[in-house]
Amino acid sequence: MKPEPQAFFLPADPAAAAGGQRFCVHHPAQGEHLRGRIVYAHPFAEEMNKTRRMAALQARAFAAAGYSVLQIDLHGCGDSSGDFADASWQAWIDDLVAASSWLRERDEPHRQAPLWLWGLRSGCLLISAALTQLAAGESQALKLCLWQPSSAGKLLLQQFMRLRLAADLAGGQSRGQMEAMRQQLQAGQAVDIAGYLLAPGLALGLEAARLLPPEPATLVDRLEWFEISSRSDAELSPVATQALAAWSADGDRRVRSHLIQGPAFWQTSEIEDAPALIEASTAALS
Amino acid sequence: MDTQTKVLRILDEVLSLNGRSATFDRSTPLLGAIAELDSMAVVSLITGLEEQLGLVVDDDEIDGDTFATVGSLCDFVAGKLGG
Repeated sequence: MKPEPQAFFLPADPAAAAGGQRFCVHHPAQGEHLRGRIVYAHPFAEEMNKTRRMAALQARAFAAAGYSVLQIDLHGCGDSSGDFADASWQAWIDDLVAASSWLRERDEPHRQAPLWLWGLRSGCLLISAALTQLAAGESQALKLCLWQPSSAGKLLLQQFMRLRLAADLAGGQSRGQMEAMRQQLQAGQAVDIAGYLLAPGLALGLEAARLLPPEPATLVDRLEWFEISSRSDAELSPVATQALAAWSADGDRRVRSHLIQGPAFWQTSEIEDAPALIEASTAALS
Repeated sequence: MDTQTKVLRILDEVLSLNGRSATFDRSTPLLGAIAELDSMAVVSLITGLEEQLGLVVDDDEIDGDTFATVGSLCDFVAGKLGG
C-alpha cells in the first residue's frame, strides 16, 4: 500500500533563533528498504510559490524510490510561525537542522540511512551555510542534491531587489533605488520589495552566503548538481563549472553535474513542470 | 542568430508566451501592454538576458523606456553586446 504524505507542525527548538512551530510534510518511503533520508530546502518569496508543484512532484518521486522525504516550510514563509519580516538566515539554518533531526529520530533505519540535502536556488546556499550544524548529528557524510544553485547569495539578493526596481519602472522612479535599499538594510531597517518586507537579518545572511566546499572536506561525500536550460545546445554555466571544479578538487568526493533541458520553472509566468529533472534527480541519487 | 531573435526567444520563454512572440515586431509594445510582463517577469527577463547572452546589466541603466517596445529592448541588448 502506498503511504500518504503526512502534514504536521514541528515545534521549534527552544534554543533556536525563532520560536513557534514549522509546517512540515513528510513523504514516507515506499518499499521494504529505506534508501535514505532527504530534507528539502525551498527557495524564498515568489520563487518558493512558483516551485511548490515541482517540489511536491519530486518529493513524491523520491518517496516512491524508497527515500523518506521531509519538506519544511521555513520560518515566516506562510504556513509556519512568523511573518516574512521576522525571517532571518540563522532561523532558517536552525529550521533545516531541526528538520533533519526530526527525520533522523524516526526510528533505527532512519538513524542509519544516509542524509541527503536537496535544495533549490537559495535553498542550496542555505544548505551550504548549515553543513557544519547538519553534520554534527550524523554518523555518515552528507550528500547534496542541488537544483539550479547560485554560487553566491549576493546575486540572488540582487535579483530579488530588482523586483522593486521593476515595479517602479513605469513610474520612472527606478534609478538610485538599489543603492537606497542597500543603505536601508545596512542601517538595520527592513525594505519592502514586491509585498515582502525583507529584514536585514535575512538579506545580509543571504548576501554573505557562498556555495563553497565544506571544512573539513569529509563533511560531504556526494554532490549531484543540476542546471536547467530551455536550450538543447546549452552548456554548463561558467560559474557552475568553476564551483564544480572546487568541489571536485576537495577530498574524496563524488561530484556529478547534470544539464537538463526544461523551463526555468522557478521564474516562469505560468507554473511549469520539468519532468526530465525529476527523472534525472531520482536516478542520480540511487 | 540576430539580436531580435535571441531577445524574442528569451521573452517567449520567460513570459510563457507559447510562441506568441513570433508575431512580434520592433514596434510591439511591451511594458504596460503585455499582461504577463509584471515586475517578476521583468526581473526574470533581465536575468535571462544576463545568463543566456552573457551580458551584465547595471541596475541604474534600466528604466521604463528600455522595456517600452521590442525595438527598444533589442537596441538596449545590442548596445550591451556590441560594447
